[in-house]
Amino acid sequence: MFEKSLYDLIRGLRNHKGNEKEYIQTSLKECRSEIRSQDMDVKATALLKLVYLEMLGHDMSWASFHVLEVMSSQKYHQKRVGYLAAVQSFRPDTDVLMMATNLLKKDVAASLPIIISLPIGALPHIVTPSLAMSLLGDLLPRLGHSHAAIRKKTVVTLYRLALVYPEALRASWPKIKERLMDPEEDSSVTAAIVNVVCELGWRRPHDFLPLAPRLFELLVDGGNNWMAIKLIKLFATLTPLEPRLVRKLLPPLTNLIRTTPAMSLLYECINGIIQGGILGDGEDFSAREEVASLCVTKLRGMVSASSDPNLKYVALLAFNRIVVTHPFLVAQQEDVILECIDSEDITIRIKALDLVQGMVSSDNLVTIVSRLMRQLKASSTTLNQQQNGLEGQGLETDSSDEGSADSKRRRKALDRAPPLPDNYTVDVIGRILMMCTQNNYANIVDFDWYIDVISQLLRVAPAPRAKDLDGGLSPLKVPGDISEKIGNELRNVAVKVKAIRAVSVRAAELVVSRMGSEISLSQPVVSGALKPIAWVLGEYASQLLSPDDSLRYLLDIVPRIGDPEVLATCLQAVLKLFAHVSGDDQALWTSERKSTVSLLMARIIHVLEPFSSHPYLEVQERAVEFIELLKLTAEAAAGQATSTDEVQQDPPLLLTQAIPSLFAGWELNSVAAGTQQNVPVPDDLDLDEPIHPNLNSLLAQADSLMLPVQGDDEFEAYYNEKPPATSMSSEPAIKRLVDAPEEVSSSYQQSEESYLDSDIIARRKAERMERYRDDPFYIPDSTASGGRSTPIHNILQKENGPDLDIDSIPIMQLDLDKPNPQGRASPAQHQQQQLRPKSKPNQRIVVAADETLGGSGLSTPRTTTYDSEHSSEPSLAAKSRTAVAKKLKQHSLLQITSSHLSDLALGEEGAGQSGGGGPLAHERQQREEAEMAQALKEVQRLRLEMQRANERIQIAQGVPVEGVVVRKKKTTKKVVKADEGQREEGIRGGEGLPEGEGVKPKTKKKKKVRVEGQEGAGGGNGEPVVKAKKKVKKVVQLNEGEGAAAAAEGQ
Amino acid sequence: MINAFLVFNGQGQPRLTKFYTQLDTSIQQRLISEIFTLVSNRAPGSCNFLPLPPLLAASSTSNTSSSAQDQNDVPSFVTYRNYATLYFIIISTSTESPLALIDLIQVYVEALDRLFENVCELDLIFNYETLHATLGEMVVGGVVIETNMERIVAGVKAQGTVAKRPVNEGRGGGGLGAGLGAGLGMGGMVWPGTR
Repeated sequence: MFEKSLYDLIRGLRNHKGNEKEYIQTSLKECRSEIRSQDMDVKATALLKLVYLEMLGHDMSWASFHVLEVMSSQKYHQKRVGYLAAVQSFRPDTDVLMMATNLLKKDVAASLPIIISLPIGALPHIVTPSLAMSLLGDLLPRLGHSHAAIRKKTVVTLYRLALVYPEALRASWPKIKERLMDPEEDSSVTAAIVNVVCELGWRRPHDFLPLAPRLFELLVDGGNNWMAIKLIKLFATLTPLEPRLVRKLLPPLTNLIRTTPAMSLLYECINGIIQGGILGDGEDFSAREEVASLCVTKLRGMVSASSDPNLKYVALLAFNRIVVTHPFLVAQQEDVILECIDSEDITIRIKALDLVQGMVSSDNLVTIVSRLMRQLKASSTTLNQQQNGLEGQGLETDSSDEGSADSKRRRKALDRAPPLPDNYTVDVIGRILMMCTQNNYANIVDFDWYIDVISQLLRVAPAPRAKDLDGGLSPLKVPGDISEKIGNELRNVAVKVKAIRAVSVRAAELVVSRMGSEISLSQPVVSGALKPIAWVLGEYASQLLSPDDSLRYLLDIVPRIGDPEVLATCLQAVLKLFAHVSGDDQALWTSERKSTVSLLMARIIHVLEPFSSHPYLEVQERAVEFIELLKLTAEAAAGQATSTDEVQQDPPLLLTQAIPSLFAGWELNSVAAGTQQNVPVPDDLDLDEPIHPNLNSLLAQADSLMLPVQGDDEFEAYYNEKPPATSMSSEPAIKRLVDAPEEVSSSYQQSEESYLDSDIIARRKAERMERYRDDPFYIPDSTASGGRSTPIHNILQKENGPDLDIDSIPIMQLDLDKPNPQGRASPAQHQQQQLRPKSKPNQRIVVAADETLGGSGLSTPRTTTYDSEHSSEPSLAAKSRTAVAKKLKQHSLLQITSSHLSDLALGEEGAGQSGGGGPLAHERQQREEAEMAQALKEVQRLRLEMQRANERIQIAQGVPVEGVVVRKKKTTKKVVKADEGQREEGIRGGEGLPEGEGVKPKTKKKKKVRVEGQEGAGGGNGEPVVKAKKKVKKVVQLNEGEGAAAAAEGQ
Repeated sequence: MINAFLVFNGQGQPRLTKFYTQLDTSIQQRLISEIFTLVSNRAPGSCNFLPLPPLLAASSTSNTSSSAQDQNDVPSFVTYRNYATLYFIIISTSTESPLALIDLIQVYVEALDRLFENVCELDLIFNYETLHATLGEMVVGGVVIETNMERIVAGVKAQGTVAKRPVNEGRGGGGLGAGLGAGLGMGGMVWPGTR
C-alpha cells in the first residue's frame, strides 16, 4: 500500500476544502494502521502526520507508546519526530513516560550535540518530579559541555526541572553560578542564565543579592539589550532588599534612559526605576526628584495621544505600578489618561480604566462615567443597527448639542466602532457601578443622574449567557449576571437614599413596564435585574405611579421567568402589589370595586396556579401559600355584599387588614455584608437538636395520607365560571382609563432614553426641573408620596388619557427632536414633570450607611470590592481579596507554578541554613529510595507471614465468614482499599475480641491503619516491630507517596 | 516566562502551537480560537497587546489578585504580531518585557525568512518541523535562550537541511503566497530592535 507523506496529507487537506473533516478522519484511520508498521520510516511518517493533525485539534494521546518507539529510533530525523511528538502530545496523565527514563538518560549522554539537544529541549514539557530526580545526575555534566548551545539549553532545562523538583536547583546552582561568574563564558549562555535568574529572582531575591556585583558588571558592559532588560527587571526585585544598590544603579540607568535608541530598553529602565522603588523617598532628594520627573515626563510622552499604541499600553502599565506608591505622580497625568479611556483599542482602554478607577472623585465621576456610557451606548446602537438594519441618524443629529467638535469626532468614531465584546461591556459596567458606589456613594452628587445611569445601563447590559456554557471549565468564576448587579444598585439606592426613593421606584416601574410590553410573549425573561427590581416594586408599592399597571406587567412577566430565585421574589412582589392595590380600607366596597378585585384575584390565582407544583421549593411554597390566601379572600369578597346608596358596606377585612398587615412593619434597612454572622447565637438554642424528634415518622405519615381535596371543586368552579359571569361592560373602560397615561409616559421615557445618552438626559432633566421651578403652570407635588393620590394628577390623567392614547406617538417625537427652545412644555412633558417628584439637583442627600453589629470583625464593606481580571490596583480591596484567593489555590491555565522554589534555600549559606548540610539532597534522596525499596520488601514478607498465621487461626475457629473475607483479601491483596479494611474491622468487631497470639497484632494493625489514614505518617512509638511494619504496609497501599516517608521512618 | 507560542493564519487555522505547559488538546484549541477572535477584531492601529482571553482571564482572577508574588507566575500578557496572512502570538507572564516580546516575534520571523529565503505561509505549512526547530533554538521551556539571528539560523541548519517549498505549490498556489517578507520591511518599527 502506498503511504501518504506529510506533504501529501497537507496537500490533501488543502484540496479537500469543505469536507476536510471526512478527509482527516480517513487520514487518521490510515495513520492508525501505519503507525503499527514494522518499518520505522512508515511509523515515523505516520507520527509526524499525527502531530500535524494534533495541532489542528485531533487527539493523539492513544499513540503515546508509538511516540516512545519513534523516540528510540537510531536515526536522527526519526528521533526528532519522536521527540516533537512527545512534546506536543504528552499530557500529565501519559503513563508511558516511566518507560522513557532510560531512553532519555541515554540520549542526554549521547555524543552528538544535536541528539543531546532533543531530550534537553523536550524535558521541560514532559518533566515530572520522579523523572527530574532520575535525570538530574545525567544533566548536570552537560553544563560543562563544549558546545555553548548545549550549555544554555541545559541551564534552562535544569530550571524547569527545579520547578517540579526543587532539589535540582540546589544541586545545579553552584555550577550555574560558576558559568555566570566566568567572564570567558559565551555571551548567549550568560544571557540564558540571566533569564533564568530573573525568573528565579522574584521568588527568592535574597539568594541572588551576592550576585549583584557581577550582574551590575553585565548591565554596564554587557552590550546586549535583551540581557539588560532582564537585568533591570532582576535589579528591581533586589533593590528593596539592598537600598545601597540604588545609588549604584541610578547613574547607569539614567544614562541608558538618555542614550539608548531601543525603546524597549528605555521603557524597562523607567519601569525598573519605578518597580525598584528608586523613585521617591530617601536621601539624595534632588537627584531622585530629577529621575522621577524624567521618568514621568517620558511616560507622559508615551501616553499622549500622538504616541505609538504599544507605548501607550506599556506606559499605562507603568502608571498602574506607580500609582501604588506615588499616586500623586499619576494624578497629575489625569488628562492624558482620561483620553485613553476613549481609545479605539480595547486593551488600552482596559489598562486606562484600571488606573482611572483609583482616581475617581466627586468632581470627575460624572465625566468619567459619561465617557464610558457613551462607549456602551455606541456599541449597543451598532449592535442594534446590525440587528435591525436601523441607521444611526438620530445619533448624528443628537450630538449637535454636544458643544465641541472634538468630542463629536470622537463620538462618530465610536459610532462606527464594532460592537464591544460582551465581557468587556460587563467589565465596564461593573467598573461604573464600582466607581459610583465607592465609599457608600461618596462621589455621587446628583442621584437623579445616577438613577438615569442605572436605567441606561440596564438597557445596554448584555443578556446573561447560559450558565452551563461558561461554568464547565471555570467553575471558579461564574461571571454573575451583570444586569442583576445593576438591578441591585437600583434597589440599594431605593433603600439607602430615602430622598430619592420615589425616583428609584419610578425607574423600577419603567423597567418592568418595558419588560412586560416589549419582549414577545413566548420569549423567556432572563434578565437578573428583575429580582431586585420586583422587590423594589413590591416593597415600595405605595410610591408607585401606577401600581395597577405594575402589577399587570409583573403578572405578564411571571410565567416567562426561568430562574426560580427571581421567580420567588416576583411572586412575593405580586402579592405585595396586590395588597396595596386592593387593600384600601377607606374606599367604599362598591360593586365596581368588588368585581375589579375579584377579577384581579382570579387573574393572580391563574398565574400562580402552575407554580404550586414547581420543583423549586421556595417558589412552590410561596405559590401555594398565596393561592390559598387569595382563594380565602376571594370567598370573603364574594360573600361581602356591596354597598349601595343606602347601606355602606366595608370591604372584607381579609382584604383591607389581613393581607396588607403581612407586609407592613418596620422599614427594611441595608445591612452590612457579614453582619448576619455576628448575630450572637442565643444560649438556649441548640442547633444540633432536631426540630421534631420524630420527623421521619411524620414524613412517612404524610406520604400515606390522602390530602383532602374538599373545597377545591368550589374554587375550581368559581374560577372557571368567572370570566363569563363578570364580563361587565364597565370593566374595559376602567382599565383603559388607568392604563393609558402610564403607557404614554413610559413610551415617552423609553424613546428619549434610547436616543439620548444618559448624561444628556440627566442634564436635560435637571435643566427642565430648573425651568419649571418658577413656572406658574408647574404644581409642585408637595405630598411626594406617589402621584396617584394627588388630585391634580387624577384630573389630568382622566382628561388627557384618551387623547394621548390615540396619537401619543407623533406628539412625543415632536417633543424629542426639538429641544423646546422657548421653555414651554408640551402637555405630555408638562405632565411628565408633574409626575416627577420634586427633588433639587445637587441637594445634600443622606445616604444611609449599612447597619452593622458591634464588634463586627467579619463584616466587610460591600461596595469597595470589584473583582475584575484586569484590576491590579492594590488597594484595601485587593488585600481583602487576598485572603479569599489564597484559599482557592487553583492554578491558572498555562501557569507553571514556581512556589515550591520559595521554600528552597540556595547557595552555600543557604545550604547551611537549611540544616541539611552534608551530602547533596538528591543523593540523599536516592539513598532513601533504596532504603524504602528494601523496607517495602520486608513489609511484604511480614505481611504474607501474618496472613498465613491469621488463616490458620480462622480455620481453627471455624468461622466461615472469616474465611471468605480472608480469601478475598488475599486475592485482592494489592488493591485493598481503606474502606474495605474498615469494613472487615467491623465484621471482626462483631465477632468479639479474638484470642490468641496470632490475631492480636492483626486487629491492632487495623485500628492503626485508620489512625494513619487520618494523621499521615506518625512515629511507631514503642510498638513491636511487626506491628509497625504492618502499619507501614497499609499506608503504602493507601497512598504510595506517603508510604515512602512512613517506610523510611519504620526503618 | 513564556507560556505559549502560537502561529495561526487569518482564518484561525493553527500553523504552530507550542505550549510550555501540558494542556488538553481541546483546551488548546479553545484557547486558540478565543485568541483568534480577539485578534481578528482588532481595530487597525491598535497596539500589539491583547486583553486576556476569557479562558485565561477566568482562571487567573483568583490568582492575579492573590498577591504581587504569585502574579509573576500567571500568564498576564498576550502579545501578537501580524505578518501578511499570519498572526504570531506569545502568551507570557509579567517577568517578560512586553516590548521585547514584540521584538522576539520579529526575530523569529526574520530567522524563518533567512532559513526559507523569502518566507511565505506555504513554507510554514509544509515545513512545520522547521518552525518547531527554529523556535527550539530561541526558546526552551518558556525561557528565551537565544536572540542572535546568526546563531539561531546556524542552530537550525545544524539539524539538517531546511526543505525548500514544494515546486508545484509555488508562490501563487492557493493565493496564500503573499510573502511574509513584505512585513519585514522593518522600517515600521518604532523602536530600533533590542538586538
